[in-house]
Amino acid sequence: MRKVAIVGMGTTKFKARWLDKTYYELAFDAGKMAMEDAGINRKQIDCAVYGIYNDFFQRQYQPDAFVHDYLGLGLKPMVRVNSGGATGGSALRIGYSEVASGLYDICLVLGVEKCNDCYNYEVQTTTPEVLRAILYTADMTYDNPAGRTAASGFALAVIAHMKKYGNPTEEQMAKVSVKNHMNATKNPIAQSPKILTIEDVLNSRKIVEPFKFYDNCLYTEGSSAVILASEAVARELTDKPVWITGVGASADYVMPGNRPNIYTFESSRQAAKRAYQMAGIKDPIKELDLAELHDAFTGTEIMAYEDCFFCEEGQGGSLIDNETVMPYGELPVNLSGGLIGCGHAVGATGIMQTYEVALHLRDEAGERQLKNARRGLVQSIGGTLCTWTVCLVLERED
Amino acid sequence: MNKAEREKWYEYHSGKEGIPVEYLKRDFEDELSGKNAMDDPLEIPDKMDVIYKYSYGQQSRFFRELRENKKIYGAKCNQCSKVYCPPRATCSFCYEPTEWVPLEGTGIITACTVQYFTTSAFIKKLPFICAYIKLDGTNFIMMTNIEAKDVSQIDVGTRVKAHFREERHGAITDVYFKPIEQE
Repeated sequence: MRKVAIVGMGTTKFKARWLDKTYYELAFDAGKMAMEDAGINRKQIDCAVYGIYNDFFQRQYQPDAFVHDYLGLGLKPMVRVNSGGATGGSALRIGYSEVASGLYDICLVLGVEKCNDCYNYEVQTTTPEVLRAILYTADMTYDNPAGRTAASGFALAVIAHMKKYGNPTEEQMAKVSVKNHMNATKNPIAQSPKILTIEDVLNSRKIVEPFKFYDNCLYTEGSSAVILASEAVARELTDKPVWITGVGASADYVMPGNRPNIYTFESSRQAAKRAYQMAGIKDPIKELDLAELHDAFTGTEIMAYEDCFFCEEGQGGSLIDNETVMPYGELPVNLSGGLIGCGHAVGATGIMQTYEVALHLRDEAGERQLKNARRGLVQSIGGTLCTWTVCLVLERED
Repeated sequence: MNKAEREKWYEYHSGKEGIPVEYLKRDFEDELSGKNAMDDPLEIPDKMDVIYKYSYGQQSRFFRELRENKKIYGAKCNQCSKVYCPPRATCSFCYEPTEWVPLEGTGIITACTVQYFTTSAFIKKLPFICAYIKLDGTNFIMMTNIEAKDVSQIDVGTRVKAHFREERHGAITDVYFKPIEQE
């Protein structure tokens, strides 16, 4: 396999509503930024991988074809991937394979999502209709008719974890929310920068036991893109390549009855293990400088500390209590603000997380720049009870 | 658009998307009466819709038993004896056919939660309980709704029993569960 580098990247702002753009117009902006950052034009792109999650959001089946057209990439090969919340991570994994295999030298990996065109006219907000669109991805025969949501699926896993290990506590989850909203205040693209107290989170309205409003990520519109290149091309294009040195992926049984338990996410453990193995990482908490974990919910960020082997199984809550994951801690998690603070533009999210880690590795993260950032982890999860996980290890040149 | 044109527009969209006229008026009267500039973003009502005559395939008997006989059936692997519910015709581990086995309809809660917010389709049911339960005689868990007088009666480990709706449609929602001690 050939070495693969990120040689260019761009992202739109993550916000609730891009009223003045369609999804392909939004994708165009991120794609153009990434090409400009890499110093290339559309003609130099050999192939594209698009991460777009929900056709109902876009009000369009096969939306990738329209993004490809709008970007002027006609006749170049492309493929669209969809793995729920892990769509962005999966798109990067496929893009990596395109270049590592030697099939192509320059690959555009672009994620886009525009969910808030969905709208409930009765209550005059988008969210219940966005949730309805999402719930078509729950098993339509046995699961969807119970009226559950993505939040309640993950709440069930967090509750099972609490019953088994006594954590995460609601206070630990609130601390994660405070951290991620705070981190977002230093990220110019973030949707939800906020200074909150633990009480603010605990007192916010209940969504699904044990999650309160501020335990949840928001629905976000946005697009993020990276340009991947082979080593030879990367050397020509940039003196700040960010190397993808570890790629791990796993897809678990979607029917929880086929799993031994629901209090760990085995796909996350497998994906992390594989990514570390490939990157030669033995002690992640010592060898990683930062991580962007998929905090769709505060409780799942805490479960991810365990699933990414930052601590022993069942000890996740301790890492927020002892401040390991704070921006000044041993392993800062979600300096971007994560899905809770920066936002969750589903297909774009994994690419935004990658953009964030790469920004730190390039020393370009401005006010929130982590000192001496050399190696970071991206975790992208999705689907019922974390069906999919993709983990990426990114490293700077020296 | 003049008033008559606007009324026609409301009627057309109400019929096409199934949105009540008064809701459409609330959201579109400004636009249609010309309050927005020509270059402002223009929003429209729309809907994606497909009608099915969906086949349950090899799971058909499960739903007929629910609808006709108020019985829950599992599917037992001929080789490893694993019992699936929800059922499947083939064991995904042995690749051997399964056979139908009647279940008692009792089980235990593996995890449960109370929902205070949900999708447009279920918003009128709030709050309600969603749970994973393991039915007795199976090696599987399934998603279901639990009905309880008091949420505090429900926890991981609570024993539950199947109840059937008076009006059944041949859908998984023909059955719901209640804690046993509550009967």
